[in-house]
Amino acid sequence: MDLPAEEEQPLYSQRPEWADVVPLEQYESVAPLAPIFYTDEYRDATNYFRGIVKSGEMSPRVLELTENIIRQNPGHYSAWQYRYKTLMALKSPLDDELQLMDELAIKHLKTYQVWHHRRLLVQQTRNPGPELEFIANSLQVDTKNYHTWSYRQWILAYFNDDALWSHELDFMESMLESDVRNNSAWHHRFFVVFQSGVRSGDEDRDAVVRRELAFVKERIAIAPNNASAWNYLRGVLDHTKISYCELQAFVLPYSLPQPPLGTPPEVVDLESPLPSKNSQLPCVAAVEFMADIHEAAGGGDLVKATEVGYVLYELGKYLTYRSFGNPWQMSTILYARDTGNTGSRNP
Amino acid sequence: MSTSLLVPQHVAYIKALGDSKHELSYHLSAHLRMNAVYWGLTALLIMGHGDALDRDEMIDFVMSCWDEEAGAFSAHPDHDVHLLSTLSAIQILLMQNALNRVNVGRIVKFILSLQQPSGVFAGDAFGETDTRFVYCAVNALSLLGKLDELDIEKTVAYIRRCRNFDGGFGHVAGAESHASQVFVCVAALAILDRLDEVDQPTLCWWLSERQLPNGGLNGRPEKLEDVCYSFWVLSALSILNKLTWIDSSKLEGFILSAQDTESGGIADRPGDMPDVFHTIFGLAGLSLLGYPTLVDLDPVYCMPASIIENLGLRKGWKALQRRSS
Repeated sequence: MDLPAEEEQPLYSQRPEWADVVPLEQYESVAPLAPIFYTDEYRDATNYFRGIVKSGEMSPRVLELTENIIRQNPGHYSAWQYRYKTLMALKSPLDDELQLMDELAIKHLKTYQVWHHRRLLVQQTRNPGPELEFIANSLQVDTKNYHTWSYRQWILAYFNDDALWSHELDFMESMLESDVRNNSAWHHRFFVVFQSGVRSGDEDRDAVVRRELAFVKERIAIAPNNASAWNYLRGVLDHTKISYCELQAFVLPYSLPQPPLGTPPEVVDLESPLPSKNSQLPCVAAVEFMADIHEAAGGGDLVKATEVGYVLYELGKYLTYRSFGNPWQMSTILYARDTGNTGSRNP
Repeated sequence: MSTSLLVPQHVAYIKALGDSKHELSYHLSAHLRMNAVYWGLTALLIMGHGDALDRDEMIDFVMSCWDEEAGAFSAHPDHDVHLLSTLSAIQILLMQNALNRVNVGRIVKFILSLQQPSGVFAGDAFGETDTRFVYCAVNALSLLGKLDELDIEKTVAYIRRCRNFDGGFGHVAGAESHASQVFVCVAALAILDRLDEVDQPTLCWWLSERQLPNGGLNGRPEKLEDVCYSFWVLSALSILNKLTWIDSSKLEGFILSAQDTESGGIADRPGDMPDVFHTIFGLAGLSLLGYPTLVDLDPVYCMPASIIENLGLRKGWKALQRRSS
C-alpha cells in the first residue's frame, strides 16, 4: 500500500476545523483488535467521509479529505465520485486537479478510477493536447498498461482532431523500436491505421496497405518468433481481404528448420526480407501460416499440407505444446498424413 | 508446493477471511466486499463445502447493502450502488436460495437505466463504461428471468464493435484484446444466444496461444502468466467447446503450484500471497479441467452448474470430463 507522501497530518478527529462534522463509524460493534498506525488514519478519514456524505457538504475541505482517502485507497470509488461532484459544485480549477492526477495516475496505473476521473475532467476542459504527452510519459513507466493505452485511444477518438492523430505513427514506431513485442503498440497501430477512419495523408489505401505490410515484414524479420507481429500481419490481410497465398514467398523461409541454403543475397529483397541471423527456426506462427495457405488452396493441395504436417511432426521437439494450437488446421494435415498421431495433445 | 488440491486448507482460508476485520486489507477492500463474498461462496460450493459460512449472516450482510433509494446493491453498507455488486448480490442470494428477498422490478429498472445509447452499460452513476458491465447486466437480467426487457440488438451491436482483428475483445470499442474481456463478451453473447458474432477460428487460436511453456496462461501476448486467466481463457474455450486446445495437465500443475500450502488459498502465481479472487478463479479453472472431486462449474455464469441448470439457463458449453481420481 502507498502511504500518503506528505508529512504526517493529525487525525481529522483531532483537527479543530473538522469539529463541526459528525464522524460516522463503520463498525460500531467491532473494537479495533490490532490497531496499526495507518489503520487509524484510514478509519478516521473514512469516518469523516461518511459524515460529509450524510450532510451533503461540498467544500474545499472535502477535496482535501477525499484526496487523503484516495491516496490511501485509490479503489474507493465513492470517494472519487463525491470528489468529482464537489469539484463541479465548487467550479474548481480543473487544471490543478489534472496536475494532481498526473501524479496519482503514475502511482496507481492499474486503478480504473484514476482513468475514469481523468476522462471526466478532460471532457470538461476540452483540452486534449497535453494528454498525449502525459500518456507517453506514463507509458514509459509501464509500456503495456491496458488503461493507459485505452485512454490514448479514447482521447484520439473522442476529440478526433487531425493534429492529435498526426504523430501517432511516429509514436508507434518509437514504441515498437524499444520493444517489438509490445502487443499493445501493435494493437494501437491497427486502431490508428484501420479502425478509426482515414487519417490525413492516408487517403491512398493501397499505398497504406503496402506500407503496413512492409512495416510488419521488416519487424518479423528482426524477431520472427513474435506472435504480435504475426497477428498484425494476419489482421492486415483479413481486413483488406488479401489472400494469404500472396505472402507465401515471404513466409516460407520462416517455416523451414534452417535458413535457405547458400549465402544471403547481396541485395535485400524488400518484399520478402529473410529471418535475421540466429533466429530460432522454424517459426511456429510461420508454419501455421503456411498450413493456412495450403488449406485455403483446397483439398487438391494435400501433398503440400502433408509436407507442412511433416515439418510440424518432425520438429515436435522444438515446439512447445501450444504450437499445435490450431487443430482446425492440424486436423486437415493429420487427416492427410493419416497417422492418427496427435502429438501430446489430449484426447 | 503441492501437486494435489488442498481442500481443507482452502476452506479454512475462506472462512478466516471474514474474521480478519482488524486487518487493514479488510477495510481497504470494502469496495469489493460483495464481490469477495460471491467469490468465497462460489469457491466453497465448487469444493462441496457450501455450508462452511453462516447462511443467515451472509444474507443479512447482502441485504444490509440494499440501497432503497437507488434500487440496487452496494459492495458495502456505506458505499454507492454499483452494477458489479448488484450482480454479486443476486448470485449470492440465488446460491443461498433466497432470491425472494429482493425487489426484482426495481433492480431491473436500475440495470436498464445504465445502458448508454451505444449499447454499452455504465457500472454506476459515475459513468465508467466497460464490456464487463455489459456482461454484468446481461447475466443479472438473465438470472432474474428478465432478459426480455433488454434491447438485445443494441447490446450485441456494442459487443460487435469491441471485436478486434485478432478475434478477441477489448473493454471498450477500439481497445486491445484481453482475455478477461474475451470472457465477458463471449459469455454475454452465449447468454444472448448470439455466439455467431464470434470469429471462432481466430479467437480460439488466440486463446490457445495464451498458454506459456510453464503451463500458465496469460491475458495478452508477451505478458506474464496469472492464475486468474485460468478462468478467463478456459471459460471462453469451454463455451466455444475448445477446451482441448490447451495442455490441461500442465495448466493444472501450474494452478496447483500457486496454492499456499500453509495458510490455504491460491495466489496469482507460485510464491505470491493468496487472495480470494485468485482462489475462486484457480478452483473454477480446475473444475473445468475435470479435477477429481470438484463440483461442476458453469463457465457462462461462474456459478455451480446445477443451479444454472435448475433455472433452465444452461448453454451448450463443454468442460473436460471429471476424473475419478
